Amino acid sequence: MADLRFENVVKHFGGVHALDGVTGHVSGGEILGLVGPNGSGKSTLIHVLSGHYDADDGRITFDGEDITERPAHRVIEMGVARTYQIPRPFSTMTALENVSVPLMFGAQPMRPEAARQAAREWLGFTGLEAYADQPISSLNLHQLKYLELARALAARPRLVFLDEVLSGLNPSEINDSIEMVRRIHASGITIVIVEHLVRVVTSLATRIMVLDRGRVIADGDPGEVMRKPEVVTAYLGKRAQGA
Amino acid sequence: MKGLARRPWFAPVVTLMVAAALWFYPNLLDAAGWPVFYLLFAYTVFFWTAQSSSWNLFTGFSGYFSFGQGAFYGVGVYAVGVLVVKQGWPLLPTFLVGGLLSAMLGLFIGLIVFRLRRLRGEIFALMTLAVAFVLGAVARVSSTIDGGQGIPLSSVPVPEALGSHPEMIFRLGLITAVLAVVVAQVVQHSRLGWGLFSIRDDEDVAETLGVPTFRFKMVALGLTAFLAGLSGAVHALQVSYVTIEEVFNIRVPLMVILMSILGGTRHWMGPVLGALVVHTMSDRLNRAGLEAVSDLIIGGLLILMIVAVKEGLYLRMRERPWATSIGGILGVAAGFVIGPLDSAVTHLAYVLLGAVLGAMVPQGRRGGRPSSPGAPAAEAIEEAVGG
Repeated sequence: MADLRFENVVKHFGGVHALDGVTGHVSGGEILGLVGPNGSGKSTLIHVLSGHYDADDGRITFDGEDITERPAHRVIEMGVARTYQIPRPFSTMTALENVSVPLMFGAQPMRPEAARQAAREWLGFTGLEAYADQPISSLNLHQLKYLELARALAARPRLVFLDEVLSGLNPSEINDSIEMVRRIHASGITIVIVEHLVRVVTSLATRIMVLDRGRVIADGDPGEVMRKPEVVTAYLGKRAQGA
Repeated sequence: MKGLARRPWFAPVVTLMVAAALWFYPNLLDAAGWPVFYLLFAYTVFFWTAQSSSWNLFTGFSGYFSFGQGAFYGVGVYAVGVLVVKQGWPLLPTFLVGGLLSAMLGLFIGLIVFRLRRLRGEIFALMTLAVAFVLGAVARVSSTIDGGQGIPLSSVPVPEALGSHPEMIFRLGLITAVLAVVVAQVVQHSRLGWGLFSIRDDEDVAETLGVPTFRFKMVALGLTAFLAGLSGAVHALQVSYVTIEEVFNIRVPLMVILMSILGGTRHWMGPVLGALVVHTMSDRLNRAGLEAVSDLIIGGLLILMIVAVKEGLYLRMRERPWATSIGGILGVAAGFVIGPLDSAVTHLAYVLLGAVLGAMVPQGRRGGRPSSPGAPAAEAIEEAVGG
């Protein structure tokens, strides 16, 4: 069971309150949609929850264990993985080598040769087998996003943060990716998905949490949340309210 | 063959076999009546192989640029100078102590700088450079270490079992170099190696994918420092008088950087090849009375490498075996024409020079890395970030 809870999480950058006391939770089996306008703190929240940044204040627990101070490599070991909004592949490695790295670490570390074999499976899951031995520079954005996904899944997580895996893709690629997210969820992985496209979020998410300027302004059923006036104002802007 | 070469035990086994054969080289030399100079030449190649392999293990694999090699090497040299000459310790255990003291210094530096995320990049390089100068200053002030007088090392008592001085230094150098190379080979094919490669490419991502980045950097720097200290301790037998100015200066770090980058930092063989090429060239040029030109040529070669052959000589040669072999053969031929072929080292220099030039000859675009698919991706990423 994957159960992530966070209370009053605060993160400053100089004088900017990127996260200003965020409280919430993700429970096993959910697809939580994390939405909000640009700069609302969605990516920062993922950075803090995955251990990439330390929280300045607050408490984070996973399956009852306090992970607030835990370094990122121990967080993924417990089963919390993430992708990066802008793909960050290991640029001097092939696609296969990229995916083999998380397999060599974590709760059940593999030897490099075994990891290399196992990595093929995850490349296959994301449809990248043909690119296994290609340098990263030969992959396009869509493929780089799938590589991010393959790398996160190769860590065998119970909960995965998908940070805008669909942005920058064309409509048919978006449909492919939605299907992919459904398959990941069907395999028993809890998902937190950050996304700009309202259509995508409402069709995928079982629950939606809305952030605005580092605070949670709504949390609940997708249909209801997206109709709230404060969400409409924050997320779609004043113009939408007038229209 | 390729599958075999990928087995993690393959390279160390071959290395140990080569080393076993080399072990009897002094006997062969003796029987054939060749000059003893060949042993000392080989030792110097071993010394630089050990130093550059050790440097590359941390810096080449992890991408953290270290100028600390002089400090690690210096701790080894001074361990023998102080403990053996001044305190009367036995020689062989002191080699190990030199390595361990150096490793402790490496771990101490790591403990301070790896804790802070902002000490990445050039600040790390400057920190390691400063350490050598600080150590030099401490040694100069402290009369237990040096006191500014230097330490004569020619009277170091050597166990007789090790044979004559040239034989002994050859074999000690061989052991040290083989140890450094085998450690680098094992690391390259291990989880530690893959962890270090991922740190070099993107440390934050490595950490979030489960790589214990702090621990791995500490282990790698500790190994680097140990091997450099051990090699420095052995090298103390080869210098007759040790002074602070000669030990804690920028020469050792610059040479290992030069050799490793020339040979290539991504593969354990890069520093080995770099040490062989650079030392052979500079030895021949110095012998021809061209010391000033030597630095110029080697410096020019480095610039050419950085601009034209980023992956380093070794990977380039492996990619172009024919051009390299033909270059080597032409090198020998040129040697016969130009001369003087007074020594086997000169032959070697001609072969290496020919092979290097052969590998570097520009070839027509043979596919290579397609640059076009990457460019739209980069644009699309920028778009995605902007929107």
